[in-house]
Amino acid sequence: MLRMGRNDHETIRAVLSGDKEAYGALVVRHSHSLFRVAFRITGNEADAEDVVQEAFLRGYQKLEGFESRSNFSTWIYRIAVRCALDRVSGRKVDERSRVGEENDPEQDAVQVADSAAGPDRLLLSGEIGALQQSAMQSLTATEQTAFVLRHMEDCSTEEIGAALGIAPNAAKQAVFRAVHKMRSRLSSLRVRT
Amino acid sequence: MKHLTEEELIGRYYNERGGEGEDFARAEEHLAACEMCAETYAALSWDLGEVKVIEAPARDEAYGERVWAALEPKLVAYKKRRWSWLRGGVLRGLSYAAVCGLLVAGAFIAGRLSVEKQKQTQVAQTPAPKPKPRVVVVVLSDHLDRSERLLVELKHVDAGSAEMMSPLRDEAKSLLAANKICRQKASHEDDPALTTALDRLDHVLDGLANQPGGLNSAAIERLQEEMNAEGLLFEVRVLRSRNPDEHGAGINRPNGGTI
Repeated sequence: MLRMGRNDHETIRAVLSGDKEAYGALVVRHSHSLFRVAFRITGNEADAEDVVQEAFLRGYQKLEGFESRSNFSTWIYRIAVRCALDRVSGRKVDERSRVGEENDPEQDAVQVADSAAGPDRLLLSGEIGALQQSAMQSLTATEQTAFVLRHMEDCSTEEIGAALGIAPNAAKQAVFRAVHKMRSRLSSLRVRT
Repeated sequence: MKHLTEEELIGRYYNERGGEGEDFARAEEHLAACEMCAETYAALSWDLGEVKVIEAPARDEAYGERVWAALEPKLVAYKKRRWSWLRGGVLRGLSYAAVCGLLVAGAFIAGRLSVEKQKQTQVAQTPAPKPKPRVVVVVLSDHLDRSERLLVELKHVDAGSAEMMSPLRDEAKSLLAANKICRQKASHEDDPALTTALDRLDHVLDGLANQPGGLNSAAIERLQEEMNAEGLLFEVRVLRSRNPDEHGAGINRPNGGTI
């Protein structure tokens, strides 16, 4: 039976006092928000659910390092973003390697998989979202995550830097590069409309 | 006119949402004045406006509990932290206090030892003055000189003159103590002649000083005869002449005074 009446800090104290079940209340309370951001970053339901699980697992293991003056929702949110970033990074590395293997083995440069279909066909089928998704896939994992946090999660540059573990200015540059690449990918869409 | 860069336009676009940003006013002012930048910004806004916010698939109310159900078996309960907190907090505080106490005690002891050492050093450097014994210096030559004068007076004193008895007795009392010291010293130094003479002198002085019933003519005459018979005056003169170097040399007498 999960006790939901306590606030996050009281619950954390209970967990650290040996009440493992109390952590369930935190999981139930924050699962939806973590799933949302995890899905936006990974773009995949299964991956997003795995990210949520992993984030709560990491959070539990690091709970002793949680500072009581912090906000648990912000803390676990950042953990989830890092988990999602790791997952996207690994996926992109796999995709690049796979594309590289299918091409000239003497070519040193790893080629980026381009799953984008022609803009005309996409527009005709009304799959603008697919074009956006392909544009997102052209970004690096950090750029993609930074863009999601900026464009969809309304995070500030400082919050993005904290979530990604980078300096605010680096986070700002990641957002700029992401926007630049996204615009390049979406330019065909603009011409057709 | 310096146009806004793409970065500045992007920054302005996102800051516009929150209405914040240091360059917001400047960019706003420039965009109002610069048609080219305004067109560029409009294109940027259109592009970013086309990037739809990804909506995550809805999760039902039980989603969180399912996550927990999957997660719970993987977790190991933390050990009781209530007492560990007490141990961590109270014992840590106690240990800090103990360390501070030890430091203070150590500093105190070190200070005390340092002071003691300094005192010992000072003591070693300046040896404590030994208790100064009260020294009575009895100069043999002086004693012999005074004894000779007394014997001369005794030899020539009128046995019937009572007024002369008192000074003789006082002087004899004064010489009697010094004579005992000189006699002890002579005995120590194995000087039989001096010892014998001082022994006889002691007998005469004792007779003068401690005559029962006081000095009278009979006692004076008896002492005169005794003195003459033994040639005591002569013997004292010989001893005085024999020890001219001892003039000024003294005999220490503990617990006494200067004689």
